[in-house]
Amino acid sequence: MKILIIEDEKELVKSMAQFLRQESYVCEVAYTESEGREKILLFDYDCILLDISLPDGNGLKILQLLKENSKTDGVILITAKNSMEDKIKGLNLGADDYLPKPFYLPELSARISAVIRRKRFDGNNKLTFNEIVVDLLGKTVSIQGAPVDLTRKEYDLLIFLMANKNRVVSKNAIAEHLSGDDAELLDKFDFIYSHIKNLKKKMIEAGSEDYIKTIYGLGYKFAT
Amino acid sequence: MRLLQVTIRSLLLYALILVLVSIPVSMYSIRAILEEEVDEALLLQTDQFLKHVKNFESLDDIETDLDVFDHLSYNINIRPTKFGNVISEFNTIVLYDSIENEPRPFRQLSSSVDIKGKPYLLIIRMSLLDNDELVFAIGSVQALLIALLAAGLLFLNRSLTKKLWKPFYNTLEQLKAYELGKHEPFLPEKSNIIEFDDLNKTAIHLVNRNRKIFLEQKEFIENASHELQTPLAIFQSKLDNLMQSKSMSESDAATISELEETALRMSKLNKNLLLLSKIDNQQFADVKPLALSHLIRTLLHNVASITESKGIVVEMALGTFTIQANAMLIEILLSNLLNNAIKHTAANGFISVKLDGATFTLSNSGSKLKMNKDKMFERFSKEGAVDNSTGLGLAIVKKICDSCKYPFDYHFIEGNHVFTVIFNH
Repeated sequence: MKILIIEDEKELVKSMAQFLRQESYVCEVAYTESEGREKILLFDYDCILLDISLPDGNGLKILQLLKENSKTDGVILITAKNSMEDKIKGLNLGADDYLPKPFYLPELSARISAVIRRKRFDGNNKLTFNEIVVDLLGKTVSIQGAPVDLTRKEYDLLIFLMANKNRVVSKNAIAEHLSGDDAELLDKFDFIYSHIKNLKKKMIEAGSEDYIKTIYGLGYKFAT
Repeated sequence: MRLLQVTIRSLLLYALILVLVSIPVSMYSIRAILEEEVDEALLLQTDQFLKHVKNFESLDDIETDLDVFDHLSYNINIRPTKFGNVISEFNTIVLYDSIENEPRPFRQLSSSVDIKGKPYLLIIRMSLLDNDELVFAIGSVQALLIALLAAGLLFLNRSLTKKLWKPFYNTLEQLKAYELGKHEPFLPEKSNIIEFDDLNKTAIHLVNRNRKIFLEQKEFIENASHELQTPLAIFQSKLDNLMQSKSMSESDAATISELEETALRMSKLNKNLLLLSKIDNQQFADVKPLALSHLIRTLLHNVASITESKGIVVEMALGTFTIQANAMLIEILLSNLLNNAIKHTAANGFISVKLDGATFTLSNSGSKLKMNKDKMFERFSKEGAVDNSTGLGLAIVKKICDSCKYPFDYHFIEGNHVFTVIFNH
């Protein structure tokens, strides 16, 4: 799958690309608006990560260009200015998601896979990993064909971990994904530990393998 | 005391002293002039009298005539004397005035004359003005003067205060009402008084300079916070990549974890600083009707899993109330208060949320604060070492209440922290 990163901060681009390539995404980079324009007109991408403030112009213009050319590339806006106005403007112009800086790379990865899934399968799709099947539309999980009763938070947690399979995800990234800004109120260790524990228990009881590994001192990893 | 009152007081005091001093001075000078005039008149009369007597010297019975004259005339005495050549002298005497029934002052000239070779003492006298009368006359004129002066000055003062000082009070009112953050310009009234125009010019200069500095600083905070977001993102992304390293020692993992905590804290601080500057910039101007109870319920629902996990009992008593406000701003206000309560309630404590008319009350169990109530709402003030606290939550609450003009208060009552916000318009 091809991803275009339009962002002027080279170091950030480097890290994003490094992280996403592990997920077998093909990453291309544009550091300026003009470079970005050129690329989107020449190629089709599964997802475009678009910084709103670029040195030679506003990223929203690229959104407009995509719209004018009836391009269906998924777009995630990335911005240093977490302003409601930009967000609304961007989403109205056809962006699929909006991610304010700073963000966790696992979060970015989860958002990218969500956007790609929506684009590819028109939202009607299933996410499969060995014996686990997730119906993204019905928001249900079944293991070896039998449904597993998960709470909303456990479901979100599973999707998040699966979107980052084979990668370590920190507790902070999980906490922010599950509770947003309220994450600061949590006793993160207890809160995440109890959710992880319940999820693992339910899945193993349903006959799944234990895919969720604890990485001591850092977080968790969904891996075979 | 007003400035003009001070001047008028000194002026009146000066006038009073002057008038009081002028009473004896004018009295003595008037007396002196009168006496001089009277003395001249007495000399002239004496001269005339002697001339006339000379004309009658040829009469034989002049002595008898003079004696009769002496008895008849009230103002002239002429008597034979034993001592010859008495030097003529002026003096003032007091005689009883039978008409007015009181003693009166007289000026008299005594001189010795020779009539037909016999020495005579000639005394001519004239009535002088009474001292008392003089004092009374001068005193009453001066008193009238003082009264007119005082009345005139006070009247002028009053009308001047109103007219002359109007531009000054206008400037003063505007300065009092001026707020740096507001967008109203400072426009003092033009007057024709050099001092006031100078004052206005200086005030305008000062206000404009302060405003400029304030705007620059505000912009700086906003820019700095925005600019920090990107390096923070780079920092976090590097950590996320570093975590994927296969060969990592436990202590390295712990360090990365700690770095991530620090990055999180920085980004929270930054977000809150941005929020404060956005409130300052009045970027939450969009106002709509907002049902408070609905919003509060939603917020409580969002944190339900957190309160549950801490074993906190949440009591709710919500009336209905709709306000005209910016939904985002009110949400931030309420969620900050709620988060603060959750953060500071110990496990198995309780939180009570009430909405009674426009009055929102949030109380939570907890121990009394060591810090001062006012200090609580200052930026970066924290009670004890609560991890992950930016020390900006309540400062944001205060800022929102101030900007929306909602009265806000905190009390510690019977083991409970009680926060009250009144959502009046």
